Amino acid sequence: MDNMLEIKNLKKTFGKNEVLKDITENVEKGQVICVIGPSGSGKSTFLRCLNVLEQPTSGKIIFDGQDLAHISEKELNVLREKMGMVFQGFNLFPNMSVLENIKLAPMKVKKVSAEEAEKRGKELLDRVGLLDKADQYPDSLSGGQKQRVAIARALAMDPEVILFDEPTSALDPEMVGEVLKVMQDLADSGMTMVVVTHEMGFAREVADEVWFMADGYIQEIGKPEEIFEHPKSERAKDFLAKVL
Amino acid sequence: MSKLKRLFLVCTLMFAVFFSIEQVSVKADSTDNSVEQIKKSGKLVVGTSADYPPYEFTVKENGQTKYVGIDIEIAKQLAKNLGVKLEIKNMSFDSLLVALESHKVDAIISAMSPTDERKKSVDFSNIYYTGKQYMLINKKDASKYKTLSDFKNATVGAQKGSIQYELVQEQLSSSTLKGLSKLSDLVIALQSGKVNGIVMEEPTAKAYAANNSQLVAIDPGFTESSGENGSAIAFAKNSPALVAVANKTIAQIKKQDLINKKYIPQAAKYMSTSTKNNTMWSYWTYFAKGIEYTLIITIAGVFFGFILGTFLSLMRLSESKLLHSVAVCYIEFVRGTPLMVQVMFVYFGIGAVIQSLPALTAGIIAVSLNSAAYIAEVIRSGIESIPVGQTEAARSLGMSKQETYRYVVIPQALKNIWPALGNEFVTLIKESSIVSIIGVSDLMYQTQLVQSATYKGVLPLFIAMLIYFVMTFGLSKLLNLFERKLNHG
Repeated sequence: MDNMLEIKNLKKTFGKNEVLKDITENVEKGQVICVIGPSGSGKSTFLRCLNVLEQPTSGKIIFDGQDLAHISEKELNVLREKMGMVFQGFNLFPNMSVLENIKLAPMKVKKVSAEEAEKRGKELLDRVGLLDKADQYPDSLSGGQKQRVAIARALAMDPEVILFDEPTSALDPEMVGEVLKVMQDLADSGMTMVVVTHEMGFAREVADEVWFMADGYIQEIGKPEEIFEHPKSERAKDFLAKVL
Repeated sequence: MSKLKRLFLVCTLMFAVFFSIEQVSVKADSTDNSVEQIKKSGKLVVGTSADYPPYEFTVKENGQTKYVGIDIEIAKQLAKNLGVKLEIKNMSFDSLLVALESHKVDAIISAMSPTDERKKSVDFSNIYYTGKQYMLINKKDASKYKTLSDFKNATVGAQKGSIQYELVQEQLSSSTLKGLSKLSDLVIALQSGKVNGIVMEEPTAKAYAANNSQLVAIDPGFTESSGENGSAIAFAKNSPALVAVANKTIAQIKKQDLINKKYIPQAAKYMSTSTKNNTMWSYWTYFAKGIEYTLIITIAGVFFGFILGTFLSLMRLSESKLLHSVAVCYIEFVRGTPLMVQVMFVYFGIGAVIQSLPALTAGIIAVSLNSAAYIAEVIRSGIESIPVGQTEAARSLGMSKQETYRYVVIPQALKNIWPALGNEFVTLIKESSIVSIIGVSDLMYQTQLVQSATYKGVLPLFIAMLIYFVMTFGLSKLLNLFERKLNHG
């Protein structure tokens, strides 16, 4: 299989604090990766380095044959179009309606016509089950609905990979399911996904590969059943004993 | 440390530019083509402080402000002899010399006495009129104050920068001296008991007494120091040709005794007619014009201030260290200096380079430059109040930094800062009253005109206060309404 993302010797330090200490991994096309691990282990920082919202201190992120960590702003902007991201805090634009949120980037970045963007936006809203909310403002939506809009917004740029940064952590428990359902559908459609999550059930069911991260390293990689049933490292055993 | 160094460098640069400007303007003065220049421009610009009847004051004729008085007649005669049109510029007395030095005016005819000190910076004509120095007092004090010695321990008022001011310093050292720049303000002070007497020239004192039954003019017996008494016309340094023309004109006027025979009676007539119809109502056009100019200045100030302020705030937030420091320097400097100084600096300072800069334009420039600094900080705080997640979401969708600012951050920031921007607008309505010192006919300036035209001090001020309040209160209510609509939309 083709590699979608190659991460080579990735390091990230904040001041004297070493958050990521030498990570080298590959994400293959169509794979769903779930990154799990204790809080403060650097999962979110790792994910944010993948689309260079955090500039890596050293190492390479190779995507589409280019090293994201060492290219110009302009080139980076172009590559980011192909890399969607969904945030823990949704980050919808509160001054725009749901549909406008989705239309903005295709129209301004890809120069898609207003009609086309509207048509595509409605298709995507239908896909996440929120077509009836098209003209509402984010403030009037529930957390789960907001996150589904955020996913639709990311999809509107037709990305090759989507990064999910704890997409259900800010949600009330009864809303987690609807968001995971949309993500599962997305995974089934063959989208490449890197998901930082605490939803072990989701990881177990949907992930092709689970990466266990702790202390700035990826400690263990394996199929969900391997990691969850037979963790090898002490750190992983310890963590899973607490969360399962 | 490097930040400090950069700041120092910028400041040094500013001074260097400023002084090179100064030098250029000095060089231009070395040859005397003063008369040719005036003839070329076709007009003689005379500066005066039109609150000093009967020398110079204003009357209302057919709804228009008209400058009249002895000095105005002399100015007309001088312009006639030069063969050019006359233009009167009205400003406060202590701004006159600066205006002459910075070539805002060609001459000062404002009952100005040729003191040795003034002679250092300007040229004077011969004296055209010598009036005795009188004291204006409240009628109820007439028995108390008769001669100079009675004013011991009293408070005596005089116009700042005037010969009378020095006279009090020299001959009434035992009294407390109070200096204000407008004579009309001094009269208010007298009537409200803040000062016990005001030193002014005989005709002026008599004019005030004649128009206000509560005041009387007395001759307290000042010792006249020869030469420094009397009024002369002031011109820029090194313009002997112009002085010669003025002296010829003065000789002509003296020969016919025009001042005593014609100018003073004429002025007295104007003064009595203006007192006859000095109800405030008949001066509403004055206030209306003032409101118009105040609004023009405020709206223009907010408009240009907003454009410039947006650039400044983006510069301040920019990653370029140079742009950032320039913006910080500008904002801190402007916010750290009074608007009054800025207004005078723009008019007299920048006006020295661009000679034809009108006072209104100078006022708008100064107010805009000032409000830009405040608006820049408002916009910056608005931008910084937008959560970083908004930027990250936009960037992760492939938007560039510029696109993110333009489509995501700024629209939200503007909505947040609307109330603060409205406040700035309301503040500017009040603050813009400062431009009256350079002679822009805003509401405050017009109020001063009404004061000197009606010989009433407090009532015009009260009316101006009410108008300012109605404007600011009305505007804030209006802005509240918009804000509520914005929030519901």
